[in-house]
Amino acid sequence: MAFIEIRNLFKRFKKVVAVNHIHLEVEQGEMLTLLGPSGCGKTTTLRCIAGLEKPEEGDILIDGKPMLSQGFVPPSKRGIGMVFQNYAVWPHMKVLHNVGYGLTLQKIPKPKIREMALQVLDLVGLKGLENRYPSQLSGGQQQRVALARALVRNPKVLLLDEPLSNLDAKLREKMRFEIKSLVKRMGITSVYVTHDQAEAMVISDRIAVMDSGNVAQIGTAEEIYKKPANRFVADFIGTMNFIPGEVVEVLKDSGVVYVRAEFKEKILCRTNTLERMTPGQAVYVSIRPEDVDVLAEPAPARENVFKGTIAHKAYLGNFLYFFVTVHNTMIRVQVPHHLPQEEGQELMLSLDPQKCVILS
Amino acid sequence: MSRGNFSLTAFLWAVIVLLVVYPLSILVVESFRLAESGGWGIHNYLEFFQDTYYLKTFSNTFLLSTLVLVTTTLFGIPLSYILARYRQRGKTLFTALILLPIVLPAYAGVFAFVIFFGKFGTLNLLLMDYGIIRTPINFIYGLHGLVFVQSLHLLPFIVLSLSAGFTTIDPSFEEAAEVEGASGFRRFITVTLPLCTPTYLAGAVIVFLWPFTDWLTPMILGQVDFLPSVAYINIAYHFTDVHRKYMGIVAVVISSLVCISLFLVARWWVERKKYTGLSKGTTSEGRVIEPGPVIRSLSTLYTLFISALVLLIPIVLGLAAFSRRWVFEPFPTHWTLENFRAILLESPLLIQNSFVFSFIALLFGMAFGLPAAYLIVRTRVRGKDALDFVITLMLAFPGIAVGVSYMLGFWEGLLPLATHWIIMPLALFARRLPYFLRMAHSSYLQLDVSLEEASEVSGVGKFRTFFYISLPLLLKGVLVGVVMFFIMAFQEISTAIFLYRGGWETLPIGIYLNWHRGMEFGIAAAMAFLMIVITFILLLIISRVGGGVLKAAWGPGTK
Repeated sequence: MAFIEIRNLFKRFKKVVAVNHIHLEVEQGEMLTLLGPSGCGKTTTLRCIAGLEKPEEGDILIDGKPMLSQGFVPPSKRGIGMVFQNYAVWPHMKVLHNVGYGLTLQKIPKPKIREMALQVLDLVGLKGLENRYPSQLSGGQQQRVALARALVRNPKVLLLDEPLSNLDAKLREKMRFEIKSLVKRMGITSVYVTHDQAEAMVISDRIAVMDSGNVAQIGTAEEIYKKPANRFVADFIGTMNFIPGEVVEVLKDSGVVYVRAEFKEKILCRTNTLERMTPGQAVYVSIRPEDVDVLAEPAPARENVFKGTIAHKAYLGNFLYFFVTVHNTMIRVQVPHHLPQEEGQELMLSLDPQKCVILS
Repeated sequence: MSRGNFSLTAFLWAVIVLLVVYPLSILVVESFRLAESGGWGIHNYLEFFQDTYYLKTFSNTFLLSTLVLVTTTLFGIPLSYILARYRQRGKTLFTALILLPIVLPAYAGVFAFVIFFGKFGTLNLLLMDYGIIRTPINFIYGLHGLVFVQSLHLLPFIVLSLSAGFTTIDPSFEEAAEVEGASGFRRFITVTLPLCTPTYLAGAVIVFLWPFTDWLTPMILGQVDFLPSVAYINIAYHFTDVHRKYMGIVAVVISSLVCISLFLVARWWVERKKYTGLSKGTTSEGRVIEPGPVIRSLSTLYTLFISALVLLIPIVLGLAAFSRRWVFEPFPTHWTLENFRAILLESPLLIQNSFVFSFIALLFGMAFGLPAAYLIVRTRVRGKDALDFVITLMLAFPGIAVGVSYMLGFWEGLLPLATHWIIMPLALFARRLPYFLRMAHSSYLQLDVSLEEASEVSGVGKFRTFFYISLPLLLKGVLVGVVMFFIMAFQEISTAIFLYRGGWETLPIGIYLNWHRGMEFGIAAAMAFLMIVITFILLLIISRVGGGVLKAAWGPGTK
């Protein structure tokens, strides 16, 4: 059985449905990320796990114990640690007291509390700052205090609500790895909320992509990037070209689907994503810009080759972007620097059938 | 620094020197004068601190301040928590009622409570009629009554400042405490309350200083052994005994010093403790709690109780205003309009004076406050911080100090302003100097400077920009400031009482004279009732201005 189980969770704020009957499971020691745009329900889900929101329906089980169905368990009794988006480090307490606060409530002797707090402060890299007030710390240091406070009681579950969003880009990148290695080392089951896909991909074992109160897809970073379950996930994670078309033929045995687009009679797709497809169905052939190949000359041996015109060219540092128009469709192509083509020139594109995902 | 800003600063400083610094220094100088020899020395102060009576008034005042602060805090904490956090029916109405004493004159409350809680007041008579008690209970005369009356008057300041704290602290501070394992009460004591201390102190200092300012309430309740009352009696009643007059001035100076130093200490503390955390994504109303049925009924009962006490003031005054010979009966038996006839026909001058003086004071206030707010917020003129500081300090000065210093400073000599009625609005203006400025100041801070810069870039000068761009956009804040200033000036008594001459009486002075000297309860009550009605109408205007059309046009975050 999973360590955290979310069953049929439903929460609304007045008329707005924030979480719409979702199911989620987090295994022991796993780090699950809730990823999605603002307003998708990820923070509300996290706050329901913490007990800071009372959902209308559903149940949450932590380590097998129901948090809702057998009477509401308040946040103080759930044995969780939480890092807030704005740290919520109490400004009227010194660092040491911030970290030791939860321990004093457990009636642990003072010298022991001090020892435990200092140990965790050392772990998060704040050695020697225990007598400072939060106003004397930088944003990154306050963040570490919040982390230390969440970890000091050795919680069963760690919840992190966009913990890095107030840090500058360099520090954010560094902290991702620090948090991951720390949490993994302690073996705490954790749920992480972010709207930053790069952060989600680096930090988590699995990602749950959320969209307007629903879980759109759960999987590893690779699964979600390579095999998006729907157009929302494909669009939200990375960049995706969507070519509208209509299913022409489905070859069940070989796993091949042919789609007709406005500029090409038959696009061959081998990804076999949609099993219930029937001819005539309106679909999108989806392909990442880096999976579109630019051909120097017509290559009859290759599949899915067609001609386009470069509308714009954008320099993005480590590579170039071509915005290619094929009839009325715009296709983004990621190419290496050295390609000589200029705006207005024609070129041949080829779509790898293995990477063409069909989405409805 | 531009020449315009410089001359503006010079002008404002000139006003401050003339109307604040000069009279107050005369006050201090006079306190060193010796009655017997006609010379100068510190003997008056030595006597003050050696005389057991004066020392007693000094410690009494401290005791009263402490008791009032403790009472308002004990009652204010649950009250402001309920108002700030609980989702409750009629919350707006309750809030309005509980805040009402801020705009009601303090003396109106005292009169109402004397009528209701007095030895032969309504409550005692009712209790005796029903045979619950035999001899009247002394509810009101004495220290306990004084604490009660002043606490009810000052409760709104504590409620306002605490609920400001409860609504503005970042909800995640409290959520973090809950996640860390703290129960509701524990969280409240260890996190919520400590985080509210800066805003609480801002209100607490006003409460604590009030007994050093209010001479009238103790006198009505038969308690005179407090600093401001002793000062008033010494100066106003004993003008023949010059030594007592000087001792009165010494008392005024000492209360002023206490007020100023406590005010500065509180200000320094608040500045030091200001908890500006990261507060992204917090809701504007803060946390709202859905209380359980028991808590809900208890909190409703509690708010009802406090609101009822506040409501007693207008109700009792109304009953007294429309009746005649209401003595030894729980409720009036003879209804009449005689009191109002007496006010309107026999002394219409009082009402006229009140309006004229307050209006002129308001004009002074605007002419001073708007440029001062502009200088303080928008420019880097040298000396503007000092200007801000001196004006803010006026918040702490007891009204009695302003009144006495004007009496001393402008009576004769270089500037015999006190022989002309203009002294009345001038004194009202000086007394309420910071009020209008604060309002203009805070709305100026909210006004995006780029709106003005856009005008200047378009080729419009600073002066015209102010009138065409800034003033219209500031209008809401300024109008609220205008009305609040007017209400405060309208009620002012502690300054005016020292300066009025025959024909310059205002409504508050009329109330005082009719009650205290003439024993005309009915007329005094009718006047107080009239003041409440006028104040109420002005408040309606504020709420219209603050929450109506103008808010829709310029208010923040209207949906």
